[in-house]
Amino acid sequence: MKRSTSALIHDIRNPLNTISINAELGKLTLQKTGDVAKAIQIFETIIAECQLCSKRITELKDSLQDEPAAETLLKEERS
Amino acid sequence: MANILLVDDDTKFLTATTDLLQMLGHTVKGASSVEEAKTMAVAGDYTHAILDLILPDGSGLHVLDALNAGNHNLQVALVTGHASIKSFVMNLYGPNIKYLIKPIDLEQLNAFLASTSGSGQPGQDSGIKKHFGHLVGESAIMQKLYEMIERVSTTQANVMLVGESGAGKEEVAASIHFASQARGNFVPINCGAFSTELINSELFGHEKGAFTGAINRKPGVFELAQDGTLFLDEITEMPIDLQPNLLRVLESRKVTRLGGTSALDVNCRVVSATNRPEHEIARDKKLREDLYFRLAVFPIHIPPLRMRKDDIPLLVDHFLTDLNLQYNAKIGIREEDLHRLCQYDWPGNVRELRHCLHRAYIMADQGTGKIRLPERIQSPFSRLETTQNNGIHFGKTVEDVERELIQTTLEHLDGDKKKAAEMLGISLKTLYNRLNSYTNTCADES
Repeated sequence: MKRSTSALIHDIRNPLNTISINAELGKLTLQKTGDVAKAIQIFETIIAECQLCSKRITELKDSLQDEPAAETLLKEERS
Repeated sequence: MANILLVDDDTKFLTATTDLLQMLGHTVKGASSVEEAKTMAVAGDYTHAILDLILPDGSGLHVLDALNAGNHNLQVALVTGHASIKSFVMNLYGPNIKYLIKPIDLEQLNAFLASTSGSGQPGQDSGIKKHFGHLVGESAIMQKLYEMIERVSTTQANVMLVGESGAGKEEVAASIHFASQARGNFVPINCGAFSTELINSELFGHEKGAFTGAINRKPGVFELAQDGTLFLDEITEMPIDLQPNLLRVLESRKVTRLGGTSALDVNCRVVSATNRPEHEIARDKKLREDLYFRLAVFPIHIPPLRMRKDDIPLLVDHFLTDLNLQYNAKIGIREEDLHRLCQYDWPGNVRELRHCLHRAYIMADQGTGKIRLPERIQSPFSRLETTQNNGIHFGKTVEDVERELIQTTLEHLDGDKKKAAEMLGISLKTLYNRLNSYTNTCADES
């Protein structure tokens, strides 16, 4: 079963939240400790979350494209 | 610093936020479910809770019930995806709950953590005005100080704060930063705390491999304070041979990291501070003259507490309110104790007053709900000063001075005669002879 549009939007906000907080953490890590190894790890998390975000947006797009198609199908069946 | 309970089922967000908040100096406990959070809610004494609204085994609101049962000073923020959820929850739980809207950033977190229960709890807020968010006091001398802060905040001038230890130099520096509405950070450093070898690296930063042990690139404090305020405390403790380096940055407004090749632009106000009077700085050559004039474009003298005794009741009220919030209690002060606090000279200034109140608060009489002051208010530093002032003066005999010196030395060494003899440079036998002669003199006198 396909997930609802609002659930998909909620799922996009989560990786965005992780990206935002990790960007802040990366900034502070470099400012306060200059720990490059830790910063690289943080940036890798950000990249992975960006990819996850992109995947979720594709799912949302697919779901939005499917909805009118399903409605047309229903209308055709009724007629 | 805040003691935070953070509840979110997104482990990546939970880990990173815990890390971030700890880096800012807060204490954080993380939970990823309602069940886990409820156990933690009972165990800890939190000042702030950050709760995700939707959790795998319920809602953050379920945790809220467990938290509110035992802690009325708690500040709560709900993490939501959309601002529209605000009005819905507000109807249920009142306006005291705050909201963090995804995606969360440091600004949102800092704004929430800066909030204290004072604003939401009627009766707890003493209504004391904090000038520029930091300074307490309404005396005429403080009004003059506020005016100077206001004036200088509209300019880019470097400020030198001169004031006794404990008078609140860092608070005044933070007030200048606050009043300037600077975009950057307030970065305080203590020039007396750095070793000679590391001070350049702290001030200017270093590139990876610049020296043995420089395993990573590190920004200097000038970079960290970009568009903000750099507070150089105890500037007169900076070794004189390193001062030209600081002068060069102030003059060129450019900084080059150690081992670096390119210069970075510097744009920050420098507020420096010292507890040495200006004539002493010049006399003892604690600061190079050229550096002094760069730093002290606008000197501000911070008055010692004994010169603004009218502010003592306000300060006492302020510190007691803070302590009551911290310990969730309602401890007050008796009129006669307040009078005693106003009589004392406070050589350690506001810092000494705060410490004295904290101690008296811990010793408070639970029956009467009032703080209990020690029989004598005295700091070891004030005793030292008194002893020094009373030590030698015209008309005293050599014998008297010698006797006082021996007695003071013994007092400071807790009566250890062997150590006292060593310190005084006399034999133990001589010390005993002297002490015996004093006892005999006392007996004769009586």
